[in-house]
Amino acid sequence: MLQRILTHSNKTDLVIDLAELISGFLLVGFLWVHMFFVASVLVGPQAFNQVPKFLEAYYLAQIGIPAVIVLILAHMVLAGRRIPNRLQEMKMIWKHSRLLMHYDTWTWVFQVITGVAIGILAAAHIWTVVSRWTINMSISAERVTQSPYFIFYIILLICGEYHVGIGLYRIGVKWGWFKRQKLSKVLDVITLAIIAMGIVSLFVIKSHAGVTGGGGQ
Amino acid sequence: MSVPNPYITDVLVIGAGLAGERTAIEAASCGCDVTILSIVPPRRSHSTGAQGGMQASLGNTAMGRGDNTDIHFTDTVKGSDWGCDQDVARLFANLAPVAVRQLSYWGCPWNRVVAGRKTLPDGREIEELVEYEGLIMARDFGGTAKWRTCYTADGTGHTVQYTMDTVVLKMGITVHDRVETLSLIHDGEKCYGAICRCLRTGKLMVYLAKVTVIATGGYGRLYGASTNAIINEGTGMFIALNTGIVPLGNMEAVQFHPTAIVPSWVLITEGARGDGGYLLDKDLHRFMPDYEPAKKELASRDVVSRRMMHHMRIGKGVDSKYGLHLWLDIRHLGRKHIYTNLREIAKVCQDFNGIDPAKELIPVRPTQHYSMGGVRTNIDGAAYGLNGLYAAGEASCWDMHGFNRLGGNSLAETTVMGMVVGRKAAEYVAGTTFIYKESMVRDHIKRQQERINNLIAGRNGKENIYKLKKIMEDALLEKVFIFRNGKDLQEAVNTLREVYQRSLKAGLMSDGQGANPELGAALRLPGMLRLALCIAYGALQRTESRGSHSREDYPKRDDANWLKRTLAYWPEEGDLPVLKYEPVKITELPPGERGYGETAAVKK
Amino acid sequence: MALRTLKLEIFRYNPNVSGDKPQMQEYILEEEPDMTLFMALTRLREEQDPSLIFDFSCRAAVCGSCAMLINGRPKLACKTMTKDLRKKITLMPLPVFKLIGDLSVDTGSWFRAMNKRLEAWVHTNKEFDPDAQEGRMDNDLALRIYESERCIECGCCVAGCGTAILREEFISSAGLNRLARFFIDPRDERSPDQYFEVIGNEYGTFGCVGLMACDDLCPMEIPLQQQLAFVRRKMLVAGLTGSGR
Repeated sequence: MLQRILTHSNKTDLVIDLAELISGFLLVGFLWVHMFFVASVLVGPQAFNQVPKFLEAYYLAQIGIPAVIVLILAHMVLAGRRIPNRLQEMKMIWKHSRLLMHYDTWTWVFQVITGVAIGILAAAHIWTVVSRWTINMSISAERVTQSPYFIFYIILLICGEYHVGIGLYRIGVKWGWFKRQKLSKVLDVITLAIIAMGIVSLFVIKSHAGVTGGGGQ
Repeated sequence: MSVPNPYITDVLVIGAGLAGERTAIEAASCGCDVTILSIVPPRRSHSTGAQGGMQASLGNTAMGRGDNTDIHFTDTVKGSDWGCDQDVARLFANLAPVAVRQLSYWGCPWNRVVAGRKTLPDGREIEELVEYEGLIMARDFGGTAKWRTCYTADGTGHTVQYTMDTVVLKMGITVHDRVETLSLIHDGEKCYGAICRCLRTGKLMVYLAKVTVIATGGYGRLYGASTNAIINEGTGMFIALNTGIVPLGNMEAVQFHPTAIVPSWVLITEGARGDGGYLLDKDLHRFMPDYEPAKKELASRDVVSRRMMHHMRIGKGVDSKYGLHLWLDIRHLGRKHIYTNLREIAKVCQDFNGIDPAKELIPVRPTQHYSMGGVRTNIDGAAYGLNGLYAAGEASCWDMHGFNRLGGNSLAETTVMGMVVGRKAAEYVAGTTFIYKESMVRDHIKRQQERINNLIAGRNGKENIYKLKKIMEDALLEKVFIFRNGKDLQEAVNTLREVYQRSLKAGLMSDGQGANPELGAALRLPGMLRLALCIAYGALQRTESRGSHSREDYPKRDDANWLKRTLAYWPEEGDLPVLKYEPVKITELPPGERGYGETAAVKK
Repeated sequence: MALRTLKLEIFRYNPNVSGDKPQMQEYILEEEPDMTLFMALTRLREEQDPSLIFDFSCRAAVCGSCAMLINGRPKLACKTMTKDLRKKITLMPLPVFKLIGDLSVDTGSWFRAMNKRLEAWVHTNKEFDPDAQEGRMDNDLALRIYESERCIECGCCVAGCGTAILREEFISSAGLNRLARFFIDPRDERSPDQYFEVIGNEYGTFGCVGLMACDDLCPMEIPLQQQLAFVRRKMLVAGLTGSGR
């Protein structure tokens, strides 16, 4: 077929696959670091308030945030090419998953669903943070006390960490020498630990609501 | 009636197992246009089921040192109980090493010699030499003087078939799968191809060829219990027999395997007994030492089978819904040994009976395993009676097996004979021009179309084909089995004649439209019954015991009267084959003692 | 275990019969000791419905003819025992492959086309010399080749693969495993570039998203995850260092 001959390039396919892998890896790194920054609240409000200062001091916020946005967009396009977009294809994969009842196939379906969810939720999250830039205890606490926001963050947290955990597992499986079962267990533990850490952090932040003078110094 | 367009080729090979594909490769490399027909995709052929190996006297292993084609020849002739054609056995033994090496060249992952000392299960110490390291390894198999059976782990047939098929792919040889042959096109002198049925659509197809090669394997499924694939229904043999001109050779020579698992009849390989497994009866008594004090469970296939049958006859069998059986006990070998060295046996036990052989007994009994008989050919593989018709592999009676085939000689035969037949077929193609009468082809199509129409319309009668088939299976299993006698054989012949007549009045329960499986079975049934009659009637007439043909009323080999080959022809009318005989060619090795595992007690 | 009365729900549809519609048909069958689905289906055909189309050949789990969806999962029917299943059994043909009728699909043509596409044979410029000794090979390597070569082309991995369901041209696990077999075989003289040309793309190794149903479903228990990862790494190196486009 002419159209295939003219556009055929295995190297492009390889580069796209690698780009998906690298963007994924970087986002895993970002998200885990992000969660550790959030978890700084567990050390104390002061630690939490130091984080944005640190970020700004090294221009990590000014460059980092746009870079992460670009990275997310790139990853959405790259990984998104795997997502069935026609209705019949969606039905086929749904029917297939339901018939097969196979764990890793279901986790992929949820990987796709959480991926789409993250795309929407993260956009909202970034907007709310950036539109009122600077992060400190009182702003965060105020935000979190509004109950829809609290649930919003829990959902985003779970989606994000699930997506990241499964994504890492799949990278390992596709490239690696690891035994799948073992890899899966290790990543499950990491994911659950980070989710737990995130939820506890959220509660701690919430507990600081109304405590005046808690931030902004 | 619409006449299908004929498909024209030089060499038409019916059957895509090892024999068929090897024939096709050879003919194609001689420049012929070759087409292979198969009822299943080639890689699903029964050849893939052969676990054991392929005999060739390479002599690389310590236990095969000094082996050569002469010893292989001698083993083969002795094994056949002097029933084989010695020119053929000689040609075969000479070519087998070439065949095995060529497979290696094509990519077959044969197991290789690993240098070093090791201890065999029976305690013997051997040393594999460094100078042979990396060459093709061989294993022990019943009835051979040397270790000669080349193998790939537990999947020799599989790897050899896959390797062969890669060559077919590479050469671009046309393969039409899901095509079943109904009859040969011939004019009484020459074969012109075949009439077939498409198993995807049910439509008739016509193949015209200068040479037609039958390579459809054995007829194991005539018997109610067989280790064979369910596609082995003897199609190639009965389409040849149905011509009335082509004879089948030695159809009474049927090999039985002592240990198939009950009730799926999947083979439990000799390895189980080779490594020290016991056979137990219903009282859990180990009975083989009572009969064969020296070799015990390790006596040859036919001897063990006979002892087992005898033991069940005297009331020591275990009763089950699937008839009598005995136990195979490998528990004492230990879980580790069973799940490493005997992995394939453990898998069969788990998959087909859900039992753990490290803890439980395995139900086994002897079953049909191999057909030495088949389309009688000369040393070139050319069938008797029709020019342009050849046969290869188990479907043929080239006659290197005589009355008993050695383990490992069947895979070797498929490949070696394929080499020979492919070349001879190509020579025939080169020396012939293809002229056929359209009216003759039309007649043949018409005949098959009428058979189909009559079955669909129910014009012949209402006999249920599956019930008839069951009667046939039982008759062979009960009366033309391991022990044979005049009375039983006569009864079997009577039953089969009656069932044959009834099969001509078969009708369908379903509508027979499209690729209807019942119609296929109905079309095959009369041919299968003819084969069954050739087996039973040939066995009845042969009043001696030779190899696997064991007559209780004639327990001795009778070289004075029976050093000859049976040729069964099917007459135009009637329900019994016409038997003729021809002498067996003895060139090098005069008849003598077989000398393995057969103690005097069996022959009395 | 006590024998039960089985209820089999079987997919029926013959595309060759005009006007036929896909439907599930119910059959009742008395279970027998040590009954496999091969025995069950044969009895259904012989006693209840001779028009029922399905494929068996070896019935001993070596030929790969009888893969079908058993309660939704691709498995070999010949080695599936009824006592391991619940009383109600659903049987459907494998997806991805062309449907021939009822439970029968054309895995043969699919695999033949795949093998042709991969040129899955030993490529060599050497001539065979009938008088020469065979070429030597390390036994461990022979066993490694055999490990991939054990594939029986039943199609369970293909039918279980979400990518294969969506993308007709995806070479699937079976194809990548087949190629791995030639890649490690020194008798095959193809360069990494040549392999990259065939499978270093979205239809080959980079099409796999790692759903691993193949690894879990293979009736031969071939370590497909490791085979696939091996091919992927080799193709990465070939793609980055080679001259392929």
